[in-house]
Amino acid sequence: MTDPKAPRGSPALLAIREGWPVLMTPFLIGVPFGVLALEAGLDPLQVSAMSFIVFAGSAQFASLELFRGGAGPLVVVATALLINLRHLLMAASLRPHFGERPLAQRLGLAYLLVDESFAMGTGWYRRGGRGVTYYVAFGLAMWALWNLGTVIGILAGPAMPDPRLLGLDFAITAAFIAIVVLAIRGRHEVAIALIAAGAAGLLRGAGLAVVAVVVAGALAPLVTRLWRRT
Amino acid sequence: MNEWLAIVGAGVATYLTRSLPLVVAFRPTERIRAYLEDLPISIIAALAGAGVLAPEQRVAFGPELIAAPLVVAVAWWRRNILLAVIVGVAVVGLARQVLP
Repeated sequence: MTDPKAPRGSPALLAIREGWPVLMTPFLIGVPFGVLALEAGLDPLQVSAMSFIVFAGSAQFASLELFRGGAGPLVVVATALLINLRHLLMAASLRPHFGERPLAQRLGLAYLLVDESFAMGTGWYRRGGRGVTYYVAFGLAMWALWNLGTVIGILAGPAMPDPRLLGLDFAITAAFIAIVVLAIRGRHEVAIALIAAGAAGLLRGAGLAVVAVVVAGALAPLVTRLWRRT
Repeated sequence: MNEWLAIVGAGVATYLTRSLPLVVAFRPTERIRAYLEDLPISIIAALAGAGVLAPEQRVAFGPELIAAPLVVAVAWWRRNILLAVIVGVAVVGLARQVLP
């Protein structure tokens, strides 16, 4: 998978050297994921299988909240699908750089596509980088650290004190709040976030716990769009 | 069993979003592109809202509602997710000790 024009091995080293601050996050978030997933009622094998198979932080945390609320597989899958639909845009944007590779390789490259590998890969191509070594090296490191973090969380989980007493059950919710705050770039997104949050809370409070998040999350962007047009 | 179905299903769904544009042509209209870009924030905010407003499946004014504005403030000023989570957990833990 190395590009003949690039110096041998160097794009992979460069990916790690430039990417290490970003590479800390999958590990630092993977550990609490492992701890909280056990707390949500999954068994250790299921938790580590999820990080292996799904490999998508927000969707995995979201599923924990849904498992805790007693949601069935359909709701979990639908929520993961909606959260990850953004990958369509990222994959479409990387396509020109991956397009000429054999199908089997493209399918492998797709597995490593997360927000961070998209961002780092795009940066590499924008400054004239070629080939997929840089992207693959960074993506594999992300994947390895996410799974390593998860396993450490699973091992540390049983040693944690009663989560409710310390407020630890609020950690996922607080993380969601902080993620949204850091991601917001304009008033349009503030409106989306407030409507989605309010609607989801009310729907869940009204007894529609399992579909609250999917319905509120899918509709809020449409509501704000209609609003702006009137 | 249901958990395994959910995990494998979520994995397949996620993989499809990653791989489809690399296999078939995908040229979204501007409107669809804008919607897809808004979705992650919307859904993560919905998750946060459900956890804050109805932590026990019914709307309640509880420790979560006290902590949420503080988490927003810390995240906004310090731009640090971990610090915001620590503050949120501490406030909820403390409120549970203090409140009846």
